[in-house]
Amino acid sequence: MEGMTTETGTETLDRDVRLYIFRQAAETAHLPRASEIAAALGRSQPEIEESIQRLAAGHALILAPGTANVWVADPFCAVPSNFRVSALGRTYWGICIWDALGIPAALHSDATVTARCGDCDQEIVLDVRDGELATGEGIVHFSVPAAKWWDNIAFT
Amino acid sequence: MLIFRSEEHIDRWCASRELTRGAAMSPEQCWQLAQAWYANVLRPDWRRKTLDEADATLASIGLTGPFWSLRA
Repeated sequence: MEGMTTETGTETLDRDVRLYIFRQAAETAHLPRASEIAAALGRSQPEIEESIQRLAAGHALILAPGTANVWVADPFCAVPSNFRVSALGRTYWGICIWDALGIPAALHSDATVTARCGDCDQEIVLDVRDGELATGEGIVHFSVPAAKWWDNIAFT
Repeated sequence: MLIFRSEEHIDRWCASRELTRGAAMSPEQCWQLAQAWYANVLRPDWRRKTLDEADATLASIGLTGPFWSLRA
């Protein structure tokens, strides 16, 4: 076994939990609670909650402030926002324009992203068709330098 | 990160919040960034990019310079 890396039980659990959350997000446009994940994976809820905390600490997902609930499994956001994505007959939400475009990138699907101008709130629509940005008006602005994105990931 | 109708709208938004203007990109660049970042997120073997990989990804779509460096 020399030279080979072996995955620990914790790493396997975290991989399975992450994958379940992201695939549920993709397939249902819904981010599952710990109890749902526990039932699906046949594990205890405390085990799943600990795994979610590790995944959040590793920036694999973002928890709702002060809770153990997944708020964002980037690019999928659990709650409605100013960045709505219509794809595969479902409605998804992103926390920012990057994530909103990340949804058709993750799904490998066509999508219509309906966002709002950060200044005047006017609707801005971007269409992804056949892997290309078919229509893309507007301009994207990052307020925070990349090195500081994780200081406050809700404001970048 | 937000999207705006034009550069003028970015400037007005920054001024109204007394924020220093950051950096802007086209929607096409943002789409390329989204693909580079999220295309494999549903795969079992997904892992976070290393700093080197992330910096290289940003550079590959023309996002270079101190603003886009992930190193503090």
